[in-house]
Amino acid sequence: MEFVKDAPIVRYRKVSKSFGDRPILKEINLDIAPGEKIAVIGPSGSGKTTLARLLMTLEEPTSGTIEVDGNQLWHKTVQGKLVRADEKHLHSIRGKIGMVFQHFNLFPHMSILRNVTEAPIHVLGLDKEEAVERAVSMLKKVGLADKLDQYPAQLSGGQKQRVAIARALVMRPKVMLFDEVTSALDPELVGEVLTVIREIAEEGEMAMLLITHEMEFARDVADRIIFTDGGRIVEQGTPEQIFYRPQSPRLITFLSRFRAG
Amino acid sequence: MWSWSFTWSILPQILEAMKTTILATIVGFAFALVGGLVLALGRRAKNRAISLGTAGIVEFVRSTPLLVQLYFLFYGFPAIGISLSPFSAGVLGLGIHYSAYLSEVYRSGIDAVPRGQWEASKALNFSKGTMWRRIILPQAIRPVIPVLGNYLIVMFKETPVLSAITLVEMLLTAKMIGAESFRYLEAFTLVGILFLILSYGSSLLIRRLELKWSRS
Ligand SMILES: Nc1ncnc2c1ncn2[C@@H]1O[C@H](COP(=O)(O)OP(=O)(O)OP(=O)(O)O)[C@@H](O)[C@H]1O
Ligand SMILES: [Mg+2]
Repeated sequence: MEFVKDAPIVRYRKVSKSFGDRPILKEINLDIAPGEKIAVIGPSGSGKTTLARLLMTLEEPTSGTIEVDGNQLWHKTVQGKLVRADEKHLHSIRGKIGMVFQHFNLFPHMSILRNVTEAPIHVLGLDKEEAVERAVSMLKKVGLADKLDQYPAQLSGGQKQRVAIARALVMRPKVMLFDEVTSALDPELVGEVLTVIREIAEEGEMAMLLITHEMEFARDVADRIIFTDGGRIVEQGTPEQIFYRPQSPRLITFLSRFRAG
Repeated sequence: MWSWSFTWSILPQILEAMKTTILATIVGFAFALVGGLVLALGRRAKNRAISLGTAGIVEFVRSTPLLVQLYFLFYGFPAIGISLSPFSAGVLGLGIHYSAYLSEVYRSGIDAVPRGQWEASKALNFSKGTMWRRIILPQAIRPVIPVLGNYLIVMFKETPVLSAITLVEMLLTAKMIGAESFRYLEAFTLVGILFLILSYGSSLLIRRLELKWSRS
């Protein structure tokens, strides 16, 4: 049973994505182990966001396959034949993935509490009491239990992003995608959000894909770091390997830009 | 010469007709609110036949005069075995006609909802129905409420066209009074004043609602 335990929760197999005739990702292979924390670094336009959006089913690969828990995203097997997946199939897989966006994407017409209870009630089918309980404990975790009745517009960027994290966490996904969740924040608000993510990472059981430009954060949190450039994974390894013994010239150049300033 | 006593004597009859005018407006507009939404959603359907078909209906309805549509419903439909009362035909005509316009209003509201709202809904695994009902439409409709309100008033002012299919609303009542008594001035003046009061009154009301909503 050792094999089952180590089976990856997510598998990208030769995944390519083009927009029009512009290739953005080229034959990506990537396995994510359950609970694994992966940081994705790389220059702007290298395809990091697209990599995450593909897993969230916000985009469909041009070719290749993505599997979550052994099930393909866009196809399913019916009587031994591979057919296009329907909405129900996608729905069952999406429940295992959560995502936090660069621009928060909170629901502006709902209070903070309702932002967080909405999906547990209407997607998971929890009764209201249970959903509120879950939501409040999640909002406590991100330090916002005193903002339940406020609206997103009344919060700072850092607070909004923490609500967005709570909103995604409350669904208890197996994999969480964080797409540059601090890039839209004022510098003085970055710390509070990273602290929350660090705490979540320490709890361990959820796999995380962290797209970030915060190198120190990536080094501390990640088990593995992936460096993308030109639509490919150019280099990957432990934080040690990536930051202290980088191999490829492109990674070395990329890192030197951060060291310089 | 203006006669006050004549004015007072015809007022009840005109007020009675006003009820019909108001009722036709309310029912017609309710129809248009629902029909417009259905058309707006139909236009976004993934199925090409549905979306093109809906676009075609909207285009067709918007490019033909309301009067022609009303004649068609009232005088044309009996030929295929459907006889409608003046009120039903009128309400249906208004409803269909304004559905086409309101669908464009809804569409502009829907298009203005940021893409991130759709993506967040998907990431939280909302079903299509839940997403539309709880996330997209509330955000899409609120900013277009003033425009919808404006269409309500426009529709109200267009109800005299229903006199063409013999619906006894205010204009036709005034005409009949005039034809009987040979006094047209009082009747038409009353109708004009009543339209003014009701339109202006509702526009004030709409503006107040707008203010209230924009505050909360
Ligand atoms: N829906 C789309 N249609 C067309 N082009 C797109 C689309 N989404 C992304 N792209 C393009 O794909 C390229 C890679 O995008 P992606 O956002 O994945 O890069 P990234 O590594 O996340 O960059 P950044 O660090 O700037 O966020 C960009 O040049 C972008 O313009
Ligand atoms: Mg990006």
